Amino acid sequence: MQSAVSKSIVIDPVTRIEGHGKITLQLDANGRVEDARFHVTQFRGFEKFCEGRPFSEMPALMARICGICPVSHLIASAKACDALLAVRIPPTADKLRRIFGLAQVVQSHALSFFYLSSPDLLLGMDADPAKANLFGVLEKKPELARDGIHLRQFGQQIIERLGGKRIHPSWVVPGGVSEPLTELNRDAILAGIPEALAIAERTLGWFKSIMENFREEIGSFGNFPSLFLGIVKKDGGLTFYDGGIRIVNSAGEVVANGLDPADYPEYIGEKVESWSYLKSPYYEPSGYPQGIYRVGPLARLNVADRCGTPRADQELAEFHELQRTAVLSSFHYHHARLVEILYCVERLEQLLTDPEILSKHVRAVAGPNSLEGVGCCEAPRGTLFHHYKIDEQGLIRWANLLIATGHNNLAMNRGILQVAKHFVHGERMTPGMLNRVEALIRTYDPCLSCSTHAFGEMPLVIQLFNASGDMVDEVRRPC
Amino acid sequence: MARVLVLGYGNPLRSDDGLGWRVAVELFRANASPDVLVLPCHQLTPDLAETASLVETVIFVDCSHKGEPGKILCEEVRSQSGPASFTHDLSPAALLALAAELFGVCPRAYMFTICGECFDPGESFSPSVSSCIPGLKAMIRRQIEDALLDTVGRQKLVS
Repeated sequence: MQSAVSKSIVIDPVTRIEGHGKITLQLDANGRVEDARFHVTQFRGFEKFCEGRPFSEMPALMARICGICPVSHLIASAKACDALLAVRIPPTADKLRRIFGLAQVVQSHALSFFYLSSPDLLLGMDADPAKANLFGVLEKKPELARDGIHLRQFGQQIIERLGGKRIHPSWVVPGGVSEPLTELNRDAILAGIPEALAIAERTLGWFKSIMENFREEIGSFGNFPSLFLGIVKKDGGLTFYDGGIRIVNSAGEVVANGLDPADYPEYIGEKVESWSYLKSPYYEPSGYPQGIYRVGPLARLNVADRCGTPRADQELAEFHELQRTAVLSSFHYHHARLVEILYCVERLEQLLTDPEILSKHVRAVAGPNSLEGVGCCEAPRGTLFHHYKIDEQGLIRWANLLIATGHNNLAMNRGILQVAKHFVHGERMTPGMLNRVEALIRTYDPCLSCSTHAFGEMPLVIQLFNASGDMVDEVRRPC
Repeated sequence: MARVLVLGYGNPLRSDDGLGWRVAVELFRANASPDVLVLPCHQLTPDLAETASLVETVIFVDCSHKGEPGKILCEEVRSQSGPASFTHDLSPAALLALAAELFGVCPRAYMFTICGECFDPGESFSPSVSSCIPGLKAMIRRQIEDALLDTVGRQKLVS
């Protein structure tokens, strides 16, 4: 295993992420990290096996891509189908879909922050891996664990009230939604808002109070220049449902604005690398790999001028103060995620108190009027595109999905290299080194099942290779 | 407020693995009692801890992959903290531990399982599992009745 020249480390699996993957770190002759790669090694093929299915089945079929964010796939898919129908959905259906999407963001962000990342933040990056879980959080700060559970339940219960079930609901359909909101369900959701808001505020306050403890991580966790991409409203406001694509550079300057999501092939290139099933999208005008961009909470707050809700607007202004340019460190994904939770809860209240929200007109009915449609929304992890082509019978002939985790692929790879260069030294990985590499990936909250459509589990490893290509260390943790 | 919670869990698209989910769906449809809450779910998640803490008895229903195919087992479940690599799904014992530690109440709990033999993609059960489902449902109903007759109620833990 040992080589006179070069070394390599493998981390497998990467823990506390959605799905599994493998990291290889290449060392030079002096034992310094020279290169890093994040491998996603399995394949599911949703784009292929939906071919030949009626387009009307697509939302329910695509929701099966993910058990964490089925709602985002439902929404993007239904919007692509709306484009095939060439209909404008009823205003109430539009608002109900937004509520559904916001609830999804709350529960998914709560899972990411409280269940997966809070152990690192509360117990420290060098904590015993056996304690770095929700039970460890429970032991040290039970109110944080309780808040996380309650917030996720709040989001999940909204999804269940609207969609009939928490996982893989099929309430969002081409042309709108299948059922209107009842007064009973609206009032029950509204009753939960004050506590959800209090949790969001409390957690943001706590996070900001401990940020100073992570100066080194802030400086080295994916802290590099890149583009940032997200949807914004016409007025530049934060949105998860629709709008134009805005791209800003690392200086915070707008590079592109108001791009039609339906035209994404004109400005997003999709590169495939031989060592991963995860695509590497890039901003086409900048070329590959210079067109690296990030999506998700950090990007959304970097591209948005405002949130449009009172408390989240205050927090966004404070977030923008973190850096004079765009906020670059991927560590701040955590912060952005919490600001977004606050926004979502405030926005849920606005939408649920809308006088039209109980309207019974929630679905437009039509046959296919267009043979091609693109649907786009902001999923918890970033911008999501569904693109379908159908034949005259309405059967799917071609589909392409651009998933948030895929958008972040280049950035995750660059971030892993940066954090590994900073923290990994020598031929053996300490638990603290390993956890920092993993924690960098967790900031992106990647969903590998979503983005590769992989079937089954994908164990993830970190492997350390020397310059001769020999593997000199490998770290595996139980899934 | 329900006194008994039935949590049937599993993946209904993986043949026998969907047993708990399917049984819970059938019990949910047949249930008219406000004292009984039946939840079909894909896996046990931490957000179920609060719900579990509000009842006196939890009945878990799952398909086991160890043992003799078609064999029904019922055993009491005790709370125990989760595995080191915990992410967002839990064992029944870990769910009870969360309920106890976060909400101060640990309900009595029983686990009903049938050992499955096929976990391949599919929506039907193997014959050995299918033939045991009526018996399993009858056992669960008896357990629910016993739990509702129990006036001692929940076992309170000091939080």
